Amino acid sequence: MSRLNDRILGILLIALAVAYGQGATQLPEPFGGSGAVGPETFPLLLAGVLGLSSLYLVVRPDPDNAWPLSRTGIELIIAVVVLVLYALLLAPLGFIISTTLAVGTLCWRMGATPLSAYLTGLIAGVVVFLLFNFALDLALPLGLLDFLEVG
Amino acid sequence: METLGYLMDGFSVALAPHNLMFALLGAFLGTLIGALPGLGPANGVAILIPLAFSLGLEPETALIMLTSVYAGAMYGGRISSILLNIPGDEPAMMTCLDGYPMARRGKAAEALAVSAVASFIGSLVATVGLILLAPLLAKFALTFGPAEYFALFLLAFATLGGITGKNPVKTIVAACIGLMIATVGIDNTGVQRFTFGVLELYEGVDFIIAIVGLFAISELLFFIEARASGDTPGMTVNKLSLSFSDIKGIIPSSLRGGVLGFIAGVLPGAGASLGSFIGYTLEKRLVGRKGYFGEGDPRGVAGPEAGNNGASSGALVPMLTLGVPGSGTTAVLLALLISLNITPGPLMFTQNADIVWGVIAALLIGNFLLLLLNIPLVGIFVKLLSVPPKYLLPVVTMVAFVGIYSISNTTFDLYFMVAFGVGGYVLRKLEIPLVPVILGLLLGPEMEKNLRHALDVSNGDWTILWGSGLAISLWALAGLGIILPYIVGPLLRRRMRAVTS
Repeated sequence: MSRLNDRILGILLIALAVAYGQGATQLPEPFGGSGAVGPETFPLLLAGVLGLSSLYLVVRPDPDNAWPLSRTGIELIIAVVVLVLYALLLAPLGFIISTTLAVGTLCWRMGATPLSAYLTGLIAGVVVFLLFNFALDLALPLGLLDFLEVG
Repeated sequence: METLGYLMDGFSVALAPHNLMFALLGAFLGTLIGALPGLGPANGVAILIPLAFSLGLEPETALIMLTSVYAGAMYGGRISSILLNIPGDEPAMMTCLDGYPMARRGKAAEALAVSAVASFIGSLVATVGLILLAPLLAKFALTFGPAEYFALFLLAFATLGGITGKNPVKTIVAACIGLMIATVGIDNTGVQRFTFGVLELYEGVDFIIAIVGLFAISELLFFIEARASGDTPGMTVNKLSLSFSDIKGIIPSSLRGGVLGFIAGVLPGAGASLGSFIGYTLEKRLVGRKGYFGEGDPRGVAGPEAGNNGASSGALVPMLTLGVPGSGTTAVLLALLISLNITPGPLMFTQNADIVWGVIAALLIGNFLLLLLNIPLVGIFVKLLSVPPKYLLPVVTMVAFVGIYSISNTTFDLYFMVAFGVGGYVLRKLEIPLVPVILGLLLGPEMEKNLRHALDVSNGDWTILWGSGLAISLWALAGLGIILPYIVGPLLRRRMRAVTS
C-alpha cells in the first residue's frame, strides 16, 4: 500500500510552515511598540508546531486513500465548476434562473433524469425565492426576471 | 437555590411565544436534518446559522432555535439506524444493534417509540446534570488567568480527536491550519497579517463561510464521489402498540444510559460515541443474560440512545462554561455565539445570564416538544427518509449558497465558500479532521490574546504559561490527550468492532 499522500502532504505543509513563518518575521513593528508578544510571536509558534508535526507525517505516513480518477474525477470537477458558475451568475441571471440551472445540473450529474432534475431546480428556486422575499423579507436578485417585479 | 431563580428567569425567556415558536421550528428542522441521509447534525446546524443571522434574530432566539436543532438532530439520527440499519453518524451505530432487528421483526414503530422515550429520558437526565454542574464549573473557571486559558485551549485541541481518534498528529496539523487561517487580517496591535493587500481579507476570514464551505460543500463532493445507493427502499411502519409496562421496562436502562452519556459528554475527548458505546455495553452486561441483546431487545435500543442524547447535552457544559467545545456540533454552536458578539466562558453566566439560562430552559422544553413531535409525527419523518440524495444534496447546497449570500450579498463570499469546500474535501481525503480546523479558526484570536496577556503580566517570561498548579495539570492532561489515542484507541476500536460485527 502506497503511503505517498501523507509524504507529499507533509512536504507541502513544511513549505507552508516555512513560508508562513518567513512572512511573520517580515511583519512591521506595531505603532508604539509591541511588548512581549508582537504580531509575529503567535504565527512563529504555529509555524514551528506545524513544521514539526508535518515532519512526523513525512517520516511516519498513514496508508493512502485512493484519489478518484477518470470518470468520478471529472464529475467532481464538473460539480466544482457548476458551483463557481452558480456564484458568478447568481446576480446577473437572477436567483431563480441560476438556481434552476445549478441545482438541475447537479441533480442530473448525480443520476436523476434531466427533466426531473431541472424541474427540481425550478421548484426549489421558486419556493426559496418566494419564501425569502415574502415570508422572510430578504431580497434575492431577480436578474433577467426583473420585469416580473411588482410595486 | 440561586440556580433555581436563574432557571425560572430562563423559563420566562424560553416560554415567550416567539421563542417557543422558534424552538418548535428548530426541533422539527433538527429531527428532519438528523433523519435525512447524508446530512449530519454539525452540517445541518452550520447551514442554518447564516439564516438565523440574516433574519436578524435576537441572540437568545437564534441560540434557542439552533440548540433545538441540535437536540432534534440527535432524535432524528435514530430513525435511519432503526429502519435502514444505516447510522446517521458514529454515535448512532450502537442503536442499530438492537433497533434494526426489532424493525425486522415487525416492531419498527415500537423501536422508534422506545428510542424516542429513551432519548427523552437521557436528555432530561443530562440537562438536569447540566443545570447542576454548569454554574459550579463556571464559578471555578472564574479563577482562570490568561496562562490557564492558554493551556485550556491546548487541552481542547489535544482531546478533540477523542481517545478513539486515529492519528493525533493529524489533529495537530488540522488545528494549526485553522489557527493560521485565524491570524489572517488586522490583529489587535493594528498590524495587517497575511492579507496580501486583498481588501476582503482585512477583517479576517469569516468563520461562518468557512464552516458552511467545509461541511456542506465538501459533503456534496464526497457524495458525488461515493455515488452510493441509488434509491432508498420505501419504508412502512407498523401500527404502534406500546403498553405502559413496555415503557416501564426501559426506564432503568434509559436512566443509566443518560447518566453515563452525560459524563462522557462532559469529559474532554470522550464524546457521544463513547457515551452510546458504554450505554450499550453496560446494559448488555447488567441485564444481558435475561434478555436477547442483538436480536431486538428494547433495552438495547434504550441504553445507547439515552447515552447518545445524554452526551450531546453533556457536551454543552464545557462549551457554555469554558468556551471550549468538545465536538463538531458544539463547535458550530460556539461559532454562532461568537458571531452574535457573546464571549462564551464563565463570564457569560453573569453578563448574559438571561441568554444562558434561556437556552438551558429551552433545552428542557425542547425535549418535551421533541417527544411530542416524535411519537405522532414519526410517519412523516420516515417518509422523508426515502427522498433520494441525488435531489436532496443539490438543494441543500443551494440553501447553503442562499444563506451565505443573504448575509453580505457579495459573490466574493460564495467563491470563498466553494474554495473552503474543495479544501475540506482534500483534507478529508487525507484524513485530516475538519473539526480542529474550525476550532482553530474560532479560538485563534482568543488564544493569541491570552498568550499576550499572560506574557505582558510576566514581562516576557514564558515560564508563566506553566506557572500555576492548575496550568500544569491542564498541560499534563493535554499531553495525555495526545498520547492516550496511541494506546487506548486501537484497543477501543477493536472492541467496538467486535461488538458490532
